[in-house]
Amino acid sequence: MAVDMLKPQFTGARVTRLEDARLLRGQARYLDDIHLPGMLEVAFVRSTRAAARITGIDVQEALRTPGVVAVLTHADLPWEIRNDGFGVTQPVLARDEVRFVGEPVAVVVADSRYAAEDGVERVKVSYDPLPPVLDMEQALADAPRRVHSQRANVFFHSEHTTEGFAEAFAQAPHHLQLTFRVHRQTGVSMETRGCAAMPDPASGRLTVYVSHQSPHGVRAQLARVLGIPENELRVIVPEVGGGFGIKAMFYPEYVVVTALARKLGKPVKWVSDRTECLLSDAHGRDSVHEVAVAFTEEGRIVAVRDRVLGDNGAYPFPGFPGAVGESNWATNMLPGPYKIPHISLTVDCVFSNKTPLGPYRGVGGPIGAQVQEGMVEAVARHLGKDAMEVRRVNLIQPEDFPYRTATGNVYDPGSYSESLEAALRLLDYEGFRRRQAQLRKQGRYLGFGVCVFVEPSAMAHSEAGSTPYEAAFIRMEPNGTVTAALGLGPTGQGHETTMAQIIADRLGVDVKDVVVLHGDTDSAPFGGGTGGSRSGTIGGGAAIRAGEQLRAKLVKLAAHLLEAAEEDIELADGQAFVAGVPARGIPVRELARIAYTDVNRLPADMPPGLEVVARYQPPAPATYSNGTHAAIVEVDIRTGLVRVLDYAAVNDCGRLINPLIVEGQIHGGVAQGIGSAFLEELRYDEHGQLLTTSLMDYLLPAATDVPRMRVQHLETPSPSLGGFKGMGEGSLIAAPAALANAVSDALAPFGVLVTELPIRPEQIVAWVQAAGQGA
Amino acid sequence: MSQAEARQTQRVVLQVNGQRHELDVEPRWLLADVLRHQLGLTATHVGCEQGVCGACTVLVDGKPERSCLMLAVQAEGCEVTTVEGLTPAAGLSPLQAAFQQHHALQCGFCTPGILVTMEALLRENPHPDEATVREALSGNVCRCTGYQFIVDAVLAAAKEGR
Repeated sequence: MAVDMLKPQFTGARVTRLEDARLLRGQARYLDDIHLPGMLEVAFVRSTRAAARITGIDVQEALRTPGVVAVLTHADLPWEIRNDGFGVTQPVLARDEVRFVGEPVAVVVADSRYAAEDGVERVKVSYDPLPPVLDMEQALADAPRRVHSQRANVFFHSEHTTEGFAEAFAQAPHHLQLTFRVHRQTGVSMETRGCAAMPDPASGRLTVYVSHQSPHGVRAQLARVLGIPENELRVIVPEVGGGFGIKAMFYPEYVVVTALARKLGKPVKWVSDRTECLLSDAHGRDSVHEVAVAFTEEGRIVAVRDRVLGDNGAYPFPGFPGAVGESNWATNMLPGPYKIPHISLTVDCVFSNKTPLGPYRGVGGPIGAQVQEGMVEAVARHLGKDAMEVRRVNLIQPEDFPYRTATGNVYDPGSYSESLEAALRLLDYEGFRRRQAQLRKQGRYLGFGVCVFVEPSAMAHSEAGSTPYEAAFIRMEPNGTVTAALGLGPTGQGHETTMAQIIADRLGVDVKDVVVLHGDTDSAPFGGGTGGSRSGTIGGGAAIRAGEQLRAKLVKLAAHLLEAAEEDIELADGQAFVAGVPARGIPVRELARIAYTDVNRLPADMPPGLEVVARYQPPAPATYSNGTHAAIVEVDIRTGLVRVLDYAAVNDCGRLINPLIVEGQIHGGVAQGIGSAFLEELRYDEHGQLLTTSLMDYLLPAATDVPRMRVQHLETPSPSLGGFKGMGEGSLIAAPAALANAVSDALAPFGVLVTELPIRPEQIVAWVQAAGQGA
Repeated sequence: MSQAEARQTQRVVLQVNGQRHELDVEPRWLLADVLRHQLGLTATHVGCEQGVCGACTVLVDGKPERSCLMLAVQAEGCEVTTVEGLTPAAGLSPLQAAFQQHHALQCGFCTPGILVTMEALLRENPHPDEATVREALSGNVCRCTGYQFIVDAVLAAAKEGR
């Protein structure tokens, strides 16, 4: 019986979310729902040129616009975001020169957003154009010019080659060269970015609301740039309508709005419109991998060389220059689930006159997986083997864990082979091959694609900053309900539920009695925020640790009151009782009441109150979740359109906190993967103008583009507290590669191997026509 | 239009969620902005102002409309319904409850527009099949869920008679 009592009641269960009611009733408060009397609204004048010197800014007509209060430029707000290490600073409003279309040049403050936009239309900026840097290969040689005159365009270079690489590569009997490329994409959270700042004249403090993934990160950056002590800044993250990495970054607009509130002594708000978002939210992806692979007759990959070039756009985001993040992740994880003994990597990241690059869910994972699985497909074709056989030959096996990769990662145990076989079973791989052959005779082109992925999660370093730990504060209130606070920054992941599940199990109370606060630097302990799939593992670990410390207090008090030994006390269903003698018990809420208001009954060495704060840092620099995605697609060779007919995701993220939430994350990541593979591309013209500035041009997957997905869970626990592994990004890492391979498989009769994403319909038509002409 | 004219307001009478509102609005104000900022009905969200994402969808005379593509003055004489108008005084509507049960929302930003659109679908077609639900849903972008649990929720609500 005691064993049953110890079994977690909520952790691992499909608990419906505690945050849903307010969201469904339309009562949630997002950034733009914050309104204060006298609040001013701002709109930005943004650069219309990719590269130009500013020769003049005329604000007179704008100032005469009804409702406009002020128009400010760099001269008025001379703040700069410093990016230590790269010799580049980013003025929050352009100073003398603009470096990408969409860069903030001036800000108009007005009594309404309508009036602010009227003012923006009347600000006249004169430009003297410069030749834009738009091609990353040319940028390498500082052609046509330097983006930042004081330094070369290449701002990051790294090399890593395993000992014995050259011999291993040369001695292999087979070699292939492939170039993989992924174009620019971005997160497109449905809620645009925004912030609002307001001074509190009484205390002298500033309150800043911001739609963000890391409240403490914003506070630290604002304090640094504006020179405000951190205890005079309160950052509050309200309800956030999606983040996907783009909202983990620190943007110039946040400095401008905060500085304006201080300067004008009034509440000031800015909410981005969708065009501004596509111009100024962190872009992602955009890299080229030139790969050479050496392999044996059996298909065993023995050595891979990868030369990577990444386009970072105009400025490095502080703490996370996107091209470096992309390239490092992609190369570091290049072996994926395969035993590849030798690696030679060269990475160059360049500045260009495009929007700055930052994280988008999965970061370099998708292109890394595309390289890894594209190689496997190419090797299989070259040898005339089934690609699944090549995977089986190369996969890391259960007995190989802990496995050290050629890039220096140490993988904790996972279910790599098991996940592949499970995915093949879910979609009946053998049966599919028969169906595929029959349908090809009818001129229908179906394809099967697979990606076996490894997702590094809960990393000591990620875009959420270099905070390798999380903190949880828990207070049991005098009536026995529980209030917890964490420094996480959820954007829809359901932490109010998952953290409550973990805490409720420790305290023996109902999950509905636990309120989880987040997003307010005045109430939450310092934390890194949400990003890099860290919250469940690191935040969950902190919740376990804090929960256990509070549990120890409850147990001590109960043992004292029940005159029993502490080790005999159980907590369950809101009761503390002696193990095996449920009748000898006391309600937890009675313990709470005593702890605060009847303190004479406490043990002599127990202070009043029930509050703890605990921190948790996982034992390893990362824990690796894994799985296999498999897709069946049909390609219409006349229109070039691809339909995803069936999809399976086998996922292993260690112990599950809430399968419902994990499945939601997988579904969403696959949908984004469909977008990445077929729809989403930020396109620039030869002048550096972004052509995709609306959602009619930057296409997102709709309900009719996404198939019904089959999800299967495997559970290989991590060494972290609770056994959790992060899983927020794996599905977007795996889906593009699985879909690309499915299209390659469908078009194999035409000799097509997809190496570039997204795959555009006109490309498919061109491939088919080219093959027809060749035949 | 001169600048002075842009700031001139006119009186409109809007019928929203069964309540009559007399308001002074600029002719250029979007219905979405008037609902949110003049009437405080902030459940209606603005995701693109380009008529694509569907987050701002409301019912106008029972039909789903983008409130970012409609001026408030154009809604004069129409019955406008937002999620606030589809929400019971306490608890959740059957469709809302199905959304919670099936985890049909994550960040929740697109959710009000989707609830409104799906309410309209179920009124017109109380027993849709999956393809019909997906087709009706295809004008609303959700970036979090991949739609599957939304479809499940709508089908479940339909099965239970909403």
